[in-house]
Amino acid sequence: MSPLTRRQLLATGLSLSTVALLAACATPGTTSVNSLAKVAAAAPGEKVQLTYWAWLKGLDKVCAIWNAGHPDIQVEAVFIPGGNAGGYQKMYSALAAGAGPDIAQVEMRSVPEFVLVNGLVDLRRYGADSYEHLYDPTLWKQASYTGGLYGIPQDSGPMATFYRPDLLDAVGAAPPKTWDEWTQVATELQKTKVFMDSFALADASVFAAFATQAGAQWLTPEKDGWVIDMTDDATLQVARFFDTAIDKNLVTTAYAAYSPGWFAAAADNQLATITTASWGDALIEGVANASGKWKVAPMPTWGSTGYGSSYVGGSTAAVLANSKHPREALEFTVWMTTTKEGIDALIKYCGIGWSPASDFIGTTREQPSTFFSGQNYNEEVFVPATKQQNADWSWWPVTQQSFNILSDGFRKKGSGGTLVDAVVSAEKQIMTVFQNKGLSIRKASK
Amino acid sequence: MSAATETRRTAARAGHGSTGPSRKRTGSMKRAPWILLAPFLVMFVLTFVVPILIALGSSFTKVTRSGLFGEKGVTTSFAGFANYAEALQDGNFIASLWRMLLFGVVQVPVMLIFCTVLALLMESASAKWPGFFRAAYFLPYGVPGVIATILWSFLYVPGLSPLFDVAKLVGVTPDFLGPNTVLWSIANIVTWSYTGYNMLIIIAQLKSIPVEVYEAAKVDGASPFRIATSIQLPLIRPALLLTAVFSIIGTLQLFAEAQVLQKVAPAVDSEFTPNLAAYTTAFAYNDYNVAAAQAVLIALVAFTLSIVFLKVTNRKES
Amino acid sequence: MTRSSVAFEGTKREQKAVARKVARSVKTSSGKLDRSAGKRRTTTIIVTGILVIVAVYFLVPVYWVVVAATKSSQDLFGTFGFWFAPKISLWSNLHDVLTYDGGIFVRWLLNSVLYAGVGALVATYLAAAGGYALAKYEFKGRNLVFGTILGGVLVPGTATALPLFLLFSQLHLANTYWSVLLPSIVSPFGLFLCRIYAQATVDTSLMEAARLDGASELRIFHTLGLRILSPALVTVFLFQLVGIWNNYFLPLVMLSDPKKFPVTLGLNNWLSQVDRLPEFYQLTTGGVLLSIIPLGIAMVVLQRFWRGGLTEGSVK
Repeated sequence: MSPLTRRQLLATGLSLSTVALLAACATPGTTSVNSLAKVAAAAPGEKVQLTYWAWLKGLDKVCAIWNAGHPDIQVEAVFIPGGNAGGYQKMYSALAAGAGPDIAQVEMRSVPEFVLVNGLVDLRRYGADSYEHLYDPTLWKQASYTGGLYGIPQDSGPMATFYRPDLLDAVGAAPPKTWDEWTQVATELQKTKVFMDSFALADASVFAAFATQAGAQWLTPEKDGWVIDMTDDATLQVARFFDTAIDKNLVTTAYAAYSPGWFAAAADNQLATITTASWGDALIEGVANASGKWKVAPMPTWGSTGYGSSYVGGSTAAVLANSKHPREALEFTVWMTTTKEGIDALIKYCGIGWSPASDFIGTTREQPSTFFSGQNYNEEVFVPATKQQNADWSWWPVTQQSFNILSDGFRKKGSGGTLVDAVVSAEKQIMTVFQNKGLSIRKASK
Repeated sequence: MSAATETRRTAARAGHGSTGPSRKRTGSMKRAPWILLAPFLVMFVLTFVVPILIALGSSFTKVTRSGLFGEKGVTTSFAGFANYAEALQDGNFIASLWRMLLFGVVQVPVMLIFCTVLALLMESASAKWPGFFRAAYFLPYGVPGVIATILWSFLYVPGLSPLFDVAKLVGVTPDFLGPNTVLWSIANIVTWSYTGYNMLIIIAQLKSIPVEVYEAAKVDGASPFRIATSIQLPLIRPALLLTAVFSIIGTLQLFAEAQVLQKVAPAVDSEFTPNLAAYTTAFAYNDYNVAAAQAVLIALVAFTLSIVFLKVTNRKES
Repeated sequence: MTRSSVAFEGTKREQKAVARKVARSVKTSSGKLDRSAGKRRTTTIIVTGILVIVAVYFLVPVYWVVVAATKSSQDLFGTFGFWFAPKISLWSNLHDVLTYDGGIFVRWLLNSVLYAGVGALVATYLAAAGGYALAKYEFKGRNLVFGTILGGVLVPGTATALPLFLLFSQLHLANTYWSVLLPSIVSPFGLFLCRIYAQATVDTSLMEAARLDGASELRIFHTLGLRILSPALVTVFLFQLVGIWNNYFLPLVMLSDPKKFPVTLGLNNWLSQVDRLPEFYQLTTGGVLLSIIPLGIAMVVLQRFWRGGLTEGSVK
């Protein structure tokens, strides 16, 4: 054989296989599992093995309780990094690879993003409707899109204000009932070199929660596509409010809540309050020598407009597209999030956020807390808070990118920008992101 | 070069023989290099050529979803340069490229000067315990970038890092993670990791300078500084060039440092380095096509910079 | 003769140089140059002083992690970082690191050893065979092949990782050990070094002699070629070993199952949890300490094998 033919052969072989590979390499996430036939339930006696990816510590102990009572459906918990800190990236790459767990922790705000890439199973196809009455309707709605349910609510984060009575007493103040009072208290605290709170420029989710409370509704799914309204009065009011608070140095932007810098400052009595989600309690308990120093009050309101509370975080246990056993996965997640056994175990071992069940907050949470000065804060503050949330808010398919765009704008605050400018420019950029994906979007008409 | 001609001559000689065994020999001579190369080539095609073709193909493809979530249909079509346009219009991505350029222009020369000076000092024969110093300087090379960053991030974080206590003694409050400083904190990590390694390369080069040259210079009364500039530096030039090219490519590959520091430095956004931008676009925004365009752009920039750098330095030489 | 081959003779010359240097220092200490002895001592002090300061810079983070690994979570934030806390909790910390989540850390270390060890070994063999073939045989397409591979040296590894992931997803190789091993066994730079070294050192007349003895081409490579190439192979192996051990982007993109993680990915997985679960500070610092010990020792021992001269000439 002459070298020339050999080379030709090699070249032909290479180019052929390359063409074949390229053709096979479709962009991931372009086919929908929910248009395929339903997966049948496991045959009686068949042993089902489920995998559950979540960033909940001690979830394996919760699974062990279930496993002991259900020899045919065994659940294995696998720890992954939290959400956008790496967990979602793992899930997306697993989905693209045609693999991945059966169940995964997906935050409420990220559910539509996974729906967009056909990553989640519509649980209504497997009978989720019969469990709807067990859940908080606001949370159920946040997992429902285009007539389907894409995750079982696993926890949520109703908001309140954690405060230091001693630091507030020092300036003769009580926990503020409105944001106006909040400013007055903060101004007094400033004289004692204490910050009212920290404000995260790098994480827009807290800002979004404040806007939600004020009555904003950034994106709404309509028949003809998405409707965006980020420059409504409620959002701009919140943006202006924190622009002023940052300018007057009432809050610090040097560190975000629960970062090492925050823990150091909290231990050093430099922070008087933090308006945060219910799951903040476990983190505040991590502040050095803080037992008995903190109490909880309802978060400040905007007076006559808006809502009493809001929410940060909150997750679902979603069934990922490549699961072989969606029915069994649904059965397990409902047990975990609605039975006394499941909720108490999640609280005990995982220190999970607020229970999504409509009628049970967890046995330990019905008790007063020693750490929080003997206050029965869960029943006193958080139960009423869950009844005063903005139920119209809906998440959208590019939430994370939107939050990144927003926080990129917020970061400019350090060099002379404003939150208001950031919001205005973010709205335009987010519309472009939608359009680049081919999704229809229009600006809300005033 | 001599080897190649000899091989050709040998092959030719073998080819002239018309006896059976030597023709067989010729055949096997022709087959042998391909057999030896085959495993490498197959893997090279699989892990370099095909991925680059895929990246090119996918960077010219666009996925369009209609409706709220694409429930009304998903179409894949030829996109032309739309993805490239999108990548280039993304201010953060462009900013990340400029940032890396700035980083490279400052960090690469600083590191090269640093490691050259160290190598010259180590070779000056005035240093005590050279073995210990070599080992100490080389140690960080064995610490993976991620772990080096974790290590340094602990030293950058207020409340955890003793550096702040030390700084307080002299009355300054450093801010390693601020918007204007975090890039240089990353530069420090990279310098820490690779200086020792580059120093070893240069030392090896210095050792190949014949002793006679030094002796002659000394006889001529040359000062150590003179010896360094007129004998040592020209001779280590190739090693420096090589190090520079790899550092340029390395700079464009920066990823782990930024990704890890993101957790403690709010100033590091999700598109701080070009690679982080491509990773975020692919796995956080699920836009594999724009990510592919970004990857192609990164490779192009790395390629161009390396070639330009070599061209420029070669021209200077001649 | 090319510049590169000069470098390879560096080894011999190096030994000669060392011998001369020893002789020279003996000469000077015998008092021949008394006049400048004082000046020389000052120089030694200054140079050594500078080197000590630089050594402090390189060793401080390592020292910090040694200290931090002996502390409890509370002491980590509450005591001065450059000195030990009154209570040494090193053993309980390390015990936690090694037993957490069923000993996952040990598994990560073993994975790293597997990826780096096997990957570097195979990569070295493939690079040797390819470099030898390109150096010692004349065939059509040689320059094209070599040029293409040379281009591969300049392409950032991270630029190919994303498309490689898409490719492996289609081949159902993503999230397997293969997805990290296969890309690790290709080292264009290693092939490049082997080619230079083979050109300079493998004697064509030896190959001819072996051919006359009736040895097959493959046999000649495996007996004669590999033996002569062995000094270069050590460098290629070490280079690739460290490269794979330090690689982060590729496994990050490829792997989603923590059981297959190398130690770099695993430790970052732990670090990403500290903001929710502060006890992970302890696990991370302990894990960092344990993970830098093996390669740290390896670096200190192996640095003398690091023939930087090998990398010379690759620019031209």
